[in-house]
Amino acid sequence: MKGLAKKDLLSVLEGWRGLYSVLAPLRREQGDIVVDRLDSDRFTLEFGKPSLSPKGILLPQSEVTFNVEEGAYRETPAKGATLLFGVRSCDAMAILQSASFMTRDKEDIYYRSRFEDLAIVVMACEGPQNETCFCTTASTGPWLRRGFDLQFYDLGDLFFVETGSERGAELSSGEQFIDITDSEILRKIEDFREKAAAAIPVVHEVKQSMTMLQDDGVGDDFWNRFGSKCIVCGGCAFVCPTCTCFNVYDQVRGEGSGQRIRTWDACLFGGFTREASGHNPRGSQALRLKRRHEHKLRYFNETDIQEALCGCVGCGRCSDYCPVHIGTLEVARAIVQSK
Amino acid sequence: MAGLAAAFGSGAMTNSIGEFEGADLFFVIGSNTTAQHPLIGARIINAVEGGATLIVADPREIPLVSYASLFLRQNIGTDVAVMNGMMNVIINEVLYDETFVATRTEGFEQLKETVAKYTPQVVEKISGIRAADLEEAARRYAGADKAMLVYAMGITQHATGTDNVKTCANLAMLTGHLGRAGTGVNPLRGQNNVQGACDMGGLPNVYSGYQRVNDDAVKDKFSKAWGVQGLDDQVGLTITDMMTAARTGDLKALYVMGENPILSDPDGSQVELALSNLEFLVVQDIFLSETAALADVVLPAACYAEKEGTYTNTERRVQISHCAVKPPGEAKVDWEIICRVATAAGYSMNYDSSWEILKEINTVTPSYGGITKERLEKGDGLQWPCPNSDHPGTAFLHKDRFTKGLGTFLPCEFKPVAEPPDEEYDFMLTTGRIYCQFHTGTMTRRTNMLEREAPRPTFEINPEDAKRLGIRDAEMAEIQSRRGAIRLRAEVTSRVPKKVVFTTFHFHEAPVNILTNPVHDPVSKIPEFKGCAVKIRRIA
Amino acid sequence: MSRTRSICPFCGCGCSFYILTEGDRVIGVEPSAGNPVNKGMLCAKGWNAFDFVNSPDRLVKPLIRKQGTLVETSWDEAITTVATRLSDIGSRSGPRSLGFLSSAKVTNEENYLFMKMARAAFKTNSVDHCARL
Repeated sequence: MKGLAKKDLLSVLEGWRGLYSVLAPLRREQGDIVVDRLDSDRFTLEFGKPSLSPKGILLPQSEVTFNVEEGAYRETPAKGATLLFGVRSCDAMAILQSASFMTRDKEDIYYRSRFEDLAIVVMACEGPQNETCFCTTASTGPWLRRGFDLQFYDLGDLFFVETGSERGAELSSGEQFIDITDSEILRKIEDFREKAAAAIPVVHEVKQSMTMLQDDGVGDDFWNRFGSKCIVCGGCAFVCPTCTCFNVYDQVRGEGSGQRIRTWDACLFGGFTREASGHNPRGSQALRLKRRHEHKLRYFNETDIQEALCGCVGCGRCSDYCPVHIGTLEVARAIVQSK
Repeated sequence: MAGLAAAFGSGAMTNSIGEFEGADLFFVIGSNTTAQHPLIGARIINAVEGGATLIVADPREIPLVSYASLFLRQNIGTDVAVMNGMMNVIINEVLYDETFVATRTEGFEQLKETVAKYTPQVVEKISGIRAADLEEAARRYAGADKAMLVYAMGITQHATGTDNVKTCANLAMLTGHLGRAGTGVNPLRGQNNVQGACDMGGLPNVYSGYQRVNDDAVKDKFSKAWGVQGLDDQVGLTITDMMTAARTGDLKALYVMGENPILSDPDGSQVELALSNLEFLVVQDIFLSETAALADVVLPAACYAEKEGTYTNTERRVQISHCAVKPPGEAKVDWEIICRVATAAGYSMNYDSSWEILKEINTVTPSYGGITKERLEKGDGLQWPCPNSDHPGTAFLHKDRFTKGLGTFLPCEFKPVAEPPDEEYDFMLTTGRIYCQFHTGTMTRRTNMLEREAPRPTFEINPEDAKRLGIRDAEMAEIQSRRGAIRLRAEVTSRVPKKVVFTTFHFHEAPVNILTNPVHDPVSKIPEFKGCAVKIRRIA
Repeated sequence: MSRTRSICPFCGCGCSFYILTEGDRVIGVEPSAGNPVNKGMLCAKGWNAFDFVNSPDRLVKPLIRKQGTLVETSWDEAITTVATRLSDIGSRSGPRSLGFLSSAKVTNEENYLFMKMARAAFKTNSVDHCARL
């Protein structure tokens, strides 16, 4: 177990830049928090829950997967090691889940190359970042047992630093990291963990709705009500840390040359399932919403991450950013109320 | 905008987007808000779920209708009659805001006289809206504490567009729904900087900040500021007039920056003829649009991601944008191109950045006086009027007085659509946009996800009409007007009423503006995109 | 990856987002969470406002019509041609023979400069844009 004085943090982050491209929470001029290349003047620890999850670092919204030039084909996986500082536990679990999914059956070399070169430094949450956090329901937080290289606990002037991997041990081998043996401090960590978990009450409706969906489901009227409200922005999928669906298309850039590109997609769009004949097996917005929420709360691979829900990591962003409040929390509560 | 300027002295959305969250009632007329301004549409839905009332007036059963307490399914082009009818009820039942009318407005007696004949029964005959529904709508709108009147192109794109807008203003003034948060007359602008293009004097009658070109003091001010003599003091030609002048040969050269009139203007074949008749056509654009393909010189421009500058949204909020990447190839930023052309033509223009131009705007445009780069950088934009660097900007207009002093009631009589259906052309065609495409499609049709969602043109036709004509869903049909014909697939849906078809102008494969009627509003010069007579036939 | 603050190029709502770039390529958008207009949200058009930027159809060189066909040319020739033809037509047929269509898609600064060019350089008030359309 290690400790790091808070005043030394910035110099540690700057030091890591020797080996990694360091991404950290920054505060922009007008107040927005973004996770971007470390900029010491803008770096902040008051970053709450960044509005986008780290998904885009591993699966960019748009990426060229291969180039064709004069008939020759060249794959273009990304290169270079990245360190992500300040990841929330829910997001780190989402990365674990997605990495498992993206490398399981047919390996996604683009995702994998980025994942293998990614160092994850988690910042444990002291409590909910806002009212939509439900990691304790999804068993993904507020602090992690695994899935990180380093995990920081903010104890005021000092960070308590937990090591989760060899890479983490290397990262924390510098002289600013001090060994902690003091039992007083170790007890503080236990306090931190207990208080943090207690501060984020379990949302029983989420679990109840899961059971209900597994049993009888809910009727068409229920989904029709949400279907008529959805403005089909796709935002719920784009902000979701575990949604990894993408669309693939080719862009011809002249005779014999072009690019294959993939971009984020969402099951909320009609074109996602429309068949070549024009027939659409999920032909209404109600059916598409049903699919999305059942995917999150009912159908998911339980072997991915045993202890967590994993279709949903409880980050609450779909509830934060759905323009018409059709997030997982609202839907789960409505499911329970519908009975 | 001319209608609002005449009534209030200022032609812009009176209130702010944030205020949609606190209004008690929305009267949405001629705006498919969830499709065209989705994040405003979403606010309306949320407000309704929180207890606010929604009244929708539209010929089509737009998605917002499922949230409406009242759906006034009006016949196309009957907006003046509908709102006059509401005012008739409001005046007869003395539901109007007597204090507001007495202290803030002028012309009430004329309004009263005009609307007197628009009884709910008369309006029912004109508009197809049941008298009882109209009365109910009138009572609710007048009775609400904070009511927002919301409109878009469904109001303005008529030969009577200015009358429609004036009538919206009349209704809001009559009920005192102005000058407070959560009220107002709120036109939703359709493009990211259409408000800014107006504010900056991209209009034939005004310089930036709506300073009139035929006012000598204004002309002197700009002569001095720009160091130039002999500024034109006559109002210039509108786009509609320019097309006519090009056909007659009076307009000989046209410089088009970032517009595609062949697809966006009515009676597209005539537009194409007009442009072909020019001696010289310059088009500055990011793609070789249908219009650019006709040009003598095409200047490759940078898109929004490749330049810096400011944009003004529908609620008059000026916001900053920075340059993310270099323009492709030799493409250049629009302002640099303009500087080079002007300089080569003998009027020297030298700026080192967009921000230097903004400084000049600050000095010659009173409403933008305090909108500086430094302030925009630190915050989330500033809403004009913002006359000086200490001014916080203006969330809603006309708080204690109208821009012009008293608000003026400008009563209008109902005039039917210029080209009503007849025996041969028995359908009314109305046009608009769909959610996943935008304008003439130059950007969205090159966006894979959006093109996938809406890959081909369709037209909406009512199931009964479709059945009668033997047209099944997704089958090809032809829509013909007196000006041309297009072929596209049918979407059989009760979203449109009987004898009305709807389609969009996004697709060059089925350029609907070949069909539309170039007849336009005499003041605003906005063409009547929202209604013309057509006939439909199945293509076997 | 880097982020640049910008405004959505589509409707008049004026949603604010960051343009995400990797080298010279625009790879996505991130809605501004604090902006009062969009509060971290976008519509389907906004979320996809990056794709057309990279389109292979973008114009990359000035074009000039020669023998009826548009062919590539230099900026110098393009600018000189535009300035000369407009000036010639203006002096021969009067400023009223010239028209200028500004754009609801470009910045305020560019709209201002465009109308300034029409009025100060070519002496005509015949400048308009598609607000009517």
